[in-house]
Amino acid sequence: MSELTVDKRDVEDVTLLYPKGFINAHTVRLFEGEIREALQQGRFKIVVNCSGLSYIASAGLGALMGAIEEIRGSGGDLRLASLNDTVRNIFEILGFNHLYRIYPSEMDAIVSFARDGGTGS
Amino acid sequence: MRRPASAAPRRGASPKAGAPRPALVLTVPSETSFLGLVREVTRKMAESAGFDQGTAGRLALAVDEAATNVIEHAYAGAADREVEIRLEDRGPEFQVEVVDSGATVDPRAVPQVDLRRYVRERRTGGLGMHLMEKIMDSVTFRRSAGRNVCRLVKRKAAVARGR
Repeated sequence: MSELTVDKRDVEDVTLLYPKGFINAHTVRLFEGEIREALQQGRFKIVVNCSGLSYIASAGLGALMGAIEEIRGSGGDLRLASLNDTVRNIFEILGFNHLYRIYPSEMDAIVSFARDGGTGS
Repeated sequence: MRRPASAAPRRGASPKAGAPRPALVLTVPSETSFLGLVREVTRKMAESAGFDQGTAGRLALAVDEAATNVIEHAYAGAADREVEIRLEDRGPEFQVEVVDSGATVDPRAVPQVDLRRYVRERRTGGLGMHLMEKIMDSVTFRRSAGRNVCRLVKRKAAVARGR
C-alpha cells in the first residue's frame, strides 16, 4: 500500500483534496504538489478532507503554512474537514486550529465558502 | 544495494509488568522512506509499554520528527548514513534515543515558534522541535563519543494524570 495518495475533485469553485495515508518528510512533496497544482490553475478555495489522513508531521504542517499566505492573498482560503482525533490533536498542540478553519464535514467546509465568499481569517 | 533495517534486542533481563524491559535498537539508513517504519516500531513499543493509542501515536510522531531532523540537518540529506533508534521501556518512563554520527546541530538555536509570524514570513523550520517538546516530558541533546544523541522521555505517570 502506498504511504500517501492524494485524490482531488472540484465542486464548482472549490477544490477538494483527499490525502490518504500519512504526511511526513517522505510524502510531503506529493501533498505539496497537489496544492501547488490547484493554485497554478487559479483555484484558491481549497478544502482538505482529512478523513483518510492517519497522521501529519511538521513537514505537512509546513506545506500548509507555505501555501496559506498566497491563497488568502488571492482572495481564497484553505480549510480543513473531517479530522480524526490524532490529526486534530496535532493541530491543537501547535495552535493550527487558530490559523485554519476546521469543519466537522466536507460539506460544512464547502458551504462555508458559499456563505462567506472564501476570505480567510 | 540498500542496507536492510535491523532490530536487535539488548540486555538479557526478562520483562516484568511495570519493570524496565530490554531495549530495542533499530538502525535504518538515513532515508525518509524509513520514517514510516520508525514510526510503526515506536508506536507498537509505546503501546506495549502501556500507553493508550493516542499517546503512542504522538510518541511515534515525536520520534519521526527527531529522525527527520537527523536526516535533514545532521546528515544534510545524505542517504548513505545510519540513524539509530533506541527504544526502552524503563518502567516509570518510556525513553527513545535517536543517535547519529553527523554534524553537530543545535536544534535549540531555532527561535521559538510564533505561528502567525511564520505564516507571514513563510517559515516552517522549528515546527518539528516545537512538536517534540510539546509531546514529550523531556527532550535533551548531547554529544557522546563523536555522535549526537537526542533523548526523548515520556513519563507514564504524567499520561495517567492527563498530560
